[in-house]
Amino acid sequence: MIVPLVHVLILAAVLFALGLVCVLVWRSNVIMLLIGIEIMLNAAMLAFVGGAGHWGMADGQVFALMIMAMTSAEVSLALALVVYLHRRKKTVNVDEFNEMKG
Amino acid sequence: MEATLFYILAAVAVIATLFAITEKHAVHAIVYLVTSFFALAVVFYLLGAPLVAVFEVIIYAGAIMVLFLFVIMMLDLGHPEKAARPGMGDWWPALVLGAVIAGAVVVLAASRPAAMTAGVSVIGVREFGRALFQKYGIAVEIISMQLLFALVGAFYLGRRRPSPPAPLPEGEGGRRPGEGGAAREEETV
Amino acid sequence: MKLYLALILLLPLLGGTINAIVGRKLPRRLTETLACGMVWGAFVCALLAFAAYRGPETVELASWLAAFDFRAPITLYLDSLSLVMVLMITFVCGLIHLYAVGYMADDPSYARFFALLNLFVFAMLVLVLAENLPLLYLGWEGVGFCSYALIGFWYREEKNATAGRKAFIVTRIGDTAFGIAIVWCFQLFQTVSISQINQMGFLMPVGVVTALGLLFLAGAMGKSAQLPLTVWLPDAMAGPTPVSALIHAATMVTAGVYLLARMFPLIGTSATVQAAIALTGGLTAFYAATCALAQRDLKRVLAYSTISQIGYMVLGVGCGAITAATFHLLVHAFFKALLFLGAGCVITALHHEQDIFRMGGLRTTLPRTFWPFLAGAICLAGIPLTGGFFSKDAILLAVWEKGGGLYGGLYLLGLLTALLTSIYTFRMVYLVFGGEGAHPHTLPRVMEWMLVPLALLGLFGGILNLPEYLGKGWLGEFLATAGVKVSHGEELVLQGIAALVALTGLSLARYRYGGARRAERLVEAEAEPTGVTAFLLNGWYLDNLYRILFIRPYEALSRFLWTRVDEGVIDDSLDRLADGLGRTGQGLGSWTNGRVSLYITSFAAGLALILGWLAWVVW
Repeated sequence: MIVPLVHVLILAAVLFALGLVCVLVWRSNVIMLLIGIEIMLNAAMLAFVGGAGHWGMADGQVFALMIMAMTSAEVSLALALVVYLHRRKKTVNVDEFNEMKG
Repeated sequence: MEATLFYILAAVAVIATLFAITEKHAVHAIVYLVTSFFALAVVFYLLGAPLVAVFEVIIYAGAIMVLFLFVIMMLDLGHPEKAARPGMGDWWPALVLGAVIAGAVVVLAASRPAAMTAGVSVIGVREFGRALFQKYGIAVEIISMQLLFALVGAFYLGRRRPSPPAPLPEGEGGRRPGEGGAAREEETV
Repeated sequence: MKLYLALILLLPLLGGTINAIVGRKLPRRLTETLACGMVWGAFVCALLAFAAYRGPETVELASWLAAFDFRAPITLYLDSLSLVMVLMITFVCGLIHLYAVGYMADDPSYARFFALLNLFVFAMLVLVLAENLPLLYLGWEGVGFCSYALIGFWYREEKNATAGRKAFIVTRIGDTAFGIAIVWCFQLFQTVSISQINQMGFLMPVGVVTALGLLFLAGAMGKSAQLPLTVWLPDAMAGPTPVSALIHAATMVTAGVYLLARMFPLIGTSATVQAAIALTGGLTAFYAATCALAQRDLKRVLAYSTISQIGYMVLGVGCGAITAATFHLLVHAFFKALLFLGAGCVITALHHEQDIFRMGGLRTTLPRTFWPFLAGAICLAGIPLTGGFFSKDAILLAVWEKGGGLYGGLYLLGLLTALLTSIYTFRMVYLVFGGEGAHPHTLPRVMEWMLVPLALLGLFGGILNLPEYLGKGWLGEFLATAGVKVSHGEELVLQGIAALVALTGLSLARYRYGGARRAERLVEAEAEPTGVTAFLLNGWYLDNLYRILFIRPYEALSRFLWTRVDEGVIDDSLDRLADGLGRTGQGLGSWTNGRVSLYITSFAAGLALILGWLAWVVW
């Protein structure tokens, strides 16, 4: 390892917090909200890869790859939903889509 | 040398991400984010994960972000002056929560004794492939099923209905470009 | 032997099952043939088993209950007692099945009737042949269920269904005691095998044996309608007459006597239990005989006489005279079945008229019924040289032999009961068959023919166990129980007294109901019963007593639990709780306003809270 694991984790934490802030802030644009989710997932991947390097095990990297695959599935579905919803309401404001409340 | 590079890249990633989340123009945000992901890819490489670094570039910076761009263009969202921007009332609770979470995670991470392992252990492709397809073979299968379902779901959602708010999907209609992107995405993985 | 025993059980079960499942689809004649054929098949098997019988035998057919060290396999135990019972049951049941073919000729639900009847035979045989108590209990409950279903056979009438329920519930009281006794036996002896339990009785302290014996006695009280659980049997006459004959006179009600005789080696070691059994039997015999004096319904007279005769048997068991009790049980089964079947003939012939004061003249118009009925009546009354005379006398002899204040009193009570028995029997005969009356319509021939073999068996049943001065008692030797040893002279004197008593009863009944006086009694009977007559007619108002003692307090308790405890406390508290929860839910529900951003913010806040707390702790 070139740097202590703690530093990698701190970087991951900062990126995660930034992604979370993005999600919380951009309620007016669902695309930006999804971007925030991507940032958070990347932070998680960074933590996994850091752990893999720290302990010399391939498992962490495998999970990073799994996250990537899962993300691609999630993004494709989420964007399809965005397209669909935009077609219905002509907006991307998250709070407009509240028909499914109990 | 490599440690220095790591810190520089970390700074680049954080700053690019900061720009990305504060940018009102969605296309610009995507470009900032691509920058951030490139920096992260190099960080992955430095941490001994060349394969993940390559995939990060190909899938994240390449495919997923392009998919975002496609959708932004298709929905014609590239006009920031029309979109509502987050006001101060949106910013401060988000910042507070983000700061608390980041601080807490940093405290938790730093509280452990940082045991340095000796030497850079680059995990080779052989070892990685063995772990992926032997140890986690079932997970790979499940992920592939998930991608298939995502494909079907995206295809279903993207079909053009006769009238937009119609509850029952009946009509034929042409494919949307977004689907092409989604489908290609699956092929990439 | 294993084959015979299995067939004895399986044939009626098979018949019952087939009739229960497809009986409605089969032609009527086939259903009837099947039901009767199965029972007679069982009788033939019983005869073969009798021919091959060399000594007590235990046959394990299959495993049934087995858990930890508790084992209750389907094991049959054939000894002389159960063999005699099996012979009697299959024979009487066979006759009554044939009789029922005639009796139920007009009834549309014949399949249900014969299925239940066959099932009853099966359950009764299980009861008799069972080697362990749980299996016996299975048969015990099986006959109880069939009895319930058959009493309420014409369930469309409220009265019949109620009578069925009453029988079921009252016997349940005794069954509960019996069930407790079984479990306790297992706890004490670590086995439920009857023969093993009987051998181990001496290991237990007398107090425990006494308690066990009283529990068994309570079970027998319920099933055999002994005091204080008599009240269900008179009402049970709501069922079809063959059912009354079969279940409520000949077989099922004697199950209690059989149980006591079976468990006698265990419970007989306690003098208290013996005395309690004898007292129960003696009092019941007297009580039921007095009630029978005033009844107007032909079947109720017979029902009370059944209770009374079973009281004699229980009295016999209480004196340790198993042979005498079994003897009386057998003979009683024959002549009481005969009487009930005869009553069925009379009732059918008179268009379902059951009031004996509205009958008459049947001696000439229905002779083929009259003569067997008369044979049954003299057996019941104990007129000398009939089977009933010998068997009843054997019991009285055993009571006399016991001596002492209690048993001496019981002997006198028994004699008094014999007098009453003779009186009410001939009162019935005079009222039903004497004088003039309406012209009856003809009966199915099969019904009357069935009376003849029963009459012969009743009349000559005494041969089964003749007193010693007339030869040896076959039944006593076969059962190999300790007989009562008395000198011939004493025995002759006692029998003379009994004969005198019976004849006195006959002449008293003749004096009061015979000839011209019969008409006076008929006129008297038009008036409402008062005083003693009403008291006896209503069975000493036992029903009302139980109503006041048990049902009223129970209803009051139920009402209290219902309105105060259930509605007032439980329901109310639950209502309030639900109300509060509903309000809380509505309050919390306003948070779900459908705004995704709020959800995400709450989620992040929760995460921050958890992580912040963790960091706080670590710091």
